[in-house]
Amino acid sequence: MKLFSNNYDFDYPWERVTAANWQKYPNAVSTHVVAVDVLRRELQDGGNVLVSERLLTVQQKVPRWILLVLGGSNVSYVREVSTVNLRDRTLVLRSCNLNYVNLLRVYETVEYTPHPADPRNKTLFAQQAQITAGGKFGRLVNRLEDWSVQRFGDNAQKGKDGFDSVLRLLSAQWDEGVARVTETVDDLDLDNLGAQMAQRVGDINAAAEQAVRESLRKFTILSDYQDLFSDTFDETRRRH
Amino acid sequence: MGQSMSASFAPECTPLKKTYDSCFNEWYSEKFLKGKSVDNECAKEWYAYIECVNAHLKEKGIQPALDDARKEAPFESGGALSDK
Repeated sequence: MKLFSNNYDFDYPWERVTAANWQKYPNAVSTHVVAVDVLRRELQDGGNVLVSERLLTVQQKVPRWILLVLGGSNVSYVREVSTVNLRDRTLVLRSCNLNYVNLLRVYETVEYTPHPADPRNKTLFAQQAQITAGGKFGRLVNRLEDWSVQRFGDNAQKGKDGFDSVLRLLSAQWDEGVARVTETVDDLDLDNLGAQMAQRVGDINAAAEQAVRESLRKFTILSDYQDLFSDTFDETRRRH
Repeated sequence: MGQSMSASFAPECTPLKKTYDSCFNEWYSEKFLKGKSVDNECAKEWYAYIECVNAHLKEKGIQPALDDARKEAPFESGGALSDK
């Protein structure tokens, strides 16, 4: 198991960050998240705690011919349970991939809390991911986990910048007294914002799955995974 | 071009989801965050939507993986991994 962790500040009040959290998708950058569904939602503790279970549908950008050759689907799913607690002002999101869990499991925890230095105006974002590759990979486990952690890190800043731009626009609208969030979002041209949150479990999972599937089938298609593939080939040769 | 709300994993459920989301987002900002809510409103929209979702989770074969994940990280513990 490998751990990845990351912290950021958002220059927006915690309440706004949590409201924007429900409206992350769809957007121009994280086009891999094609659907978001709520599976269960409960209001608890006299209206102070809201727990939601969601299903994120992730579609990989895989050329059609690869799908034809390899078969199978380029759609995968991520389950997320989130808890908004008004008493201690926390939003905690816990996510895990539903596909290929035996090969690679990414369990991510994200926590949004008011920033200790400026709790009224800023929000602290803390992210941690546990990445576990399955035993099937033998000595490759370490390498696959390292690669996954690296990729997770590469995407973190992009995701942060994206969510910032959405918060900026939503906040401007809220400041103008447009209270109806749904209308607000409908008015925004998010396609041109070039972003949003994103690049979380869904992204790392989609990429890793693809690498896993293709390395198992001895393909060297995508340059991104060159290292992983060459290792896999060496290993395969040694065994045969 | 305006921003549309996210789709459902089952296209058949997308219109019901959008109706529910509209209701929820307004409730969240206007009531929940202000501490004015004792009920999760939008019940009518919710039941219409979730009925559609549950039917399609089975149809698309997502249900078994979801059941496993629920055992491993229960809703009741906020999705935290349970000790094995």
